[in-house]
Amino acid sequence: MDLRPKRYVDTVVLSPVGRIDHSTSEDFKITLAPHMTRCAEGQDRVILDFASVEYISSVGLRVLMLASKQAKSQRGSLGIAALQPAVREIFDISRFTMVLDVFPSVREGLARLSPKALAAFDAA
Amino acid sequence: MHWSERRWVRVLGGSRGQPLGIALLALVLTIELAPDLFGLGFIRLAAFDAYQRWAPRARHSGPAVIVAIDEESLRLHGQWPWPRTWLAQLVARIAEADPAAIGVDILMPEADRLSPARLPEFVPGMGQDLVQRLSSLPSNDTVLARTLQASRVVLGVAGLEAEVAGTRRSIRRVPFRTVGGDPRPLVRRFDATLHSAEEIDRVVKGHGLLSVDTERGVVRRMPLVATVGDALVPAFGIEMLRVAAGGAVVTVRTGASGVEALEIGDLAVPTEPDGSVRVHFARSDPARFVSAADVLAGKVDRHLLERKLVLIGVTALGLSDYQATPVTDRMPGVEIHAQLLENIFDTDLLSRPRAVVWAEAGLLLAGGLLLILTMPRSSPLASVALYVLMVGAIVTAGALLYLQRGILLDAASPSLALGTLFTAMLVVTLAETERHRQSLRRQVEQQREQAARLAGELEAARRIQMGSLPDPATAFPGDTRLDLYAFLEPAREVGGDLYDFFPLDRDRLCLLIGDVSGKGLPGSLFMAVSKALYKSAALRGVGSVDAVMREADGEISRDNAEGLFVTMLAGILDVRTGLLEYCNAGHEPLYLLPNGDRPLTRLTDGGGPPLCVLDGFPYAASARRLTRGDTICLVTDGVLDAMSPKAEAYGRTRFEALLEKVGRAASAAEIGEAIRLEVSRFADGVEQSDDMAILVLRWKGPSGR
Repeated sequence: MDLRPKRYVDTVVLSPVGRIDHSTSEDFKITLAPHMTRCAEGQDRVILDFASVEYISSVGLRVLMLASKQAKSQRGSLGIAALQPAVREIFDISRFTMVLDVFPSVREGLARLSPKALAAFDAA
Repeated sequence: MHWSERRWVRVLGGSRGQPLGIALLALVLTIELAPDLFGLGFIRLAAFDAYQRWAPRARHSGPAVIVAIDEESLRLHGQWPWPRTWLAQLVARIAEADPAAIGVDILMPEADRLSPARLPEFVPGMGQDLVQRLSSLPSNDTVLARTLQASRVVLGVAGLEAEVAGTRRSIRRVPFRTVGGDPRPLVRRFDATLHSAEEIDRVVKGHGLLSVDTERGVVRRMPLVATVGDALVPAFGIEMLRVAAGGAVVTVRTGASGVEALEIGDLAVPTEPDGSVRVHFARSDPARFVSAADVLAGKVDRHLLERKLVLIGVTALGLSDYQATPVTDRMPGVEIHAQLLENIFDTDLLSRPRAVVWAEAGLLLAGGLLLILTMPRSSPLASVALYVLMVGAIVTAGALLYLQRGILLDAASPSLALGTLFTAMLVVTLAETERHRQSLRRQVEQQREQAARLAGELEAARRIQMGSLPDPATAFPGDTRLDLYAFLEPAREVGGDLYDFFPLDRDRLCLLIGDVSGKGLPGSLFMAVSKALYKSAALRGVGSVDAVMREADGEISRDNAEGLFVTMLAGILDVRTGLLEYCNAGHEPLYLLPNGDRPLTRLTDGGGPPLCVLDGFPYAASARRLTRGDTICLVTDGVLDAMSPKAEAYGRTRFEALLEKVGRAASAAEIGEAIRLEVSRFADGVEQSDDMAILVLRWKGPSGR
């Protein structure tokens, strides 16, 4: 899975595409792993841009949960932004809105996590 | 063990049979180059005979005419041998037509017993004066000798393998000239010759060897020159040509590889190294013959004999020498000599140059290597096609060389040799294929066994999982206040969905539904653990539904190395009052289908994330008081996310519409079955991708009516 990473100073924006379900979640997990390794205090902040994600199953949620736990243990910042309505509903039902910081858009996420990154984002 | 897997078959056929193929090719090449060493030369001879039988030589010029002492002649003139005076008459008649030469293919070793002087021996009681007069007459031999002397006549002599009485080791010298070496050690050797009686023999212009050799009983080659003692002797036909040419010298040309040619005047006849030629036979042809009776009667046109080489021979059945030739099993010896003369005149002899021998070996080598290289990689059908193509090419080449150039290429031996090689390679290749097939079959069997074992274990796991789920019919025996339906179908043999219901005390029951973030075996293990821990927490008397949830969360999280999580929707219903307390840990909310005309409600309040997601999450409970006849419905996302063939999800809207349609008065089982049926109809054969669980509970009020 191509996460199309884009860096804005200290923040990396990852943009997965399509369905994150039983057949794709393992791939998602593997491609996400190196970014999560660097998602730590003093290193990178990570924002998952879910604008192109149509569906996420419980197996996909598990990947997000594990990523969130890793970020927390590394005192890193992980946010998720621009959920499509279907995915938003899944987040609501499963209360994953309590697990991750959910932002309406990438820009708002950047604004929250890193003012420097926001400046770079706006400049780009 | 299958035959193709036996050790000796593997050794022989190892490396796709190529070692065997190469060994066999070496053997057939040896046979090809030295067929008679193995007694297989007959194959080659048969091939050459086949060419001539298939396309015999066409007779163009007729240089030779046979005056045949045939049945008709014997009928008119009486039994053979005739008095030699008649033979003299015959020769004289022929000589009148001025032939180029006359060849007498008749051996007359003894004096004629029909000479006048010997008649008294047969006719006793003759008068003395008659005897006297008879003995004063010239002998028949004398008469014949006189006639023979007057013409260009060649007498035949027979070559013999051993000297016996009446034969001699010498022959009247024929003028030979040798060029390029002494041919005598190279050519056919006879120990002695059988001659006609001296009186006749000494007067004629020439003497030619009548002997022909047979190969396996068939005349194919004729020596043009041979030796008797240390003298060179020409063949009968050659001697006739020499005499016809006015008694010229015969030149024998010899080269490094042997005799190359015989030359008479400007006529050169190429030969095999041993001085023989391969006769190219035409069919037996009556046009070659005139009857001796007709000649004697003067009925033969002079032009028929004029300037021709005239052979006199006996063809009457029972008398003559017949020989087998490639074109016919019986051909008069004299006709064979005539055929040779036609061959020489039309330069139509057959030949087999050394290069052809090497070409045959080359064809065999190339074809053999091609088979060895390609057969292990091609299908049997392609191999057969290749073999047929090669044989076709060889046979075509052989036929063309024979027809166009009179060159004898042996197509049979290489074809048969390639056939042998082809068969051996085919057998080995097939054996190898068979062996491969056997080993594949065994592998498949093993895999099938393994799959069966695994399926057996999974089946057992399924029975255990399904057995761990309570049965709504027996969970609350005799309790008429409840109407319960439960259904669970994993996507695979086992799955990660769960439901449970059990009484907490006389009036309260606990029910829950859940979904592990995983399917199959891992999901099912976590499901079993989650379900057991939840139930034990609930039965321990922890208290309210949210307290149980928090307790279960802690316990399930503790031993969760894989980082799985489980959504859980639990409720505690007081059957007396209808009070439903519920707590939702990240699960699809419960649906309340009220009795009466209140709207269908999705109870989304309260709760938190799935268990094991956030450590120590403070789950909180919500409550709702049911009225008599209210139904609650709990499902997992296997229901709502079921896919249609058009990759459309079933979805909440359809689900809610269905609940409304089935109706508020329906029993739990009616609602549950309706959901099952509709989802399965919606999926329309698309494989169920997620586990699916349904739990329906209808509260029939405190009294249960």
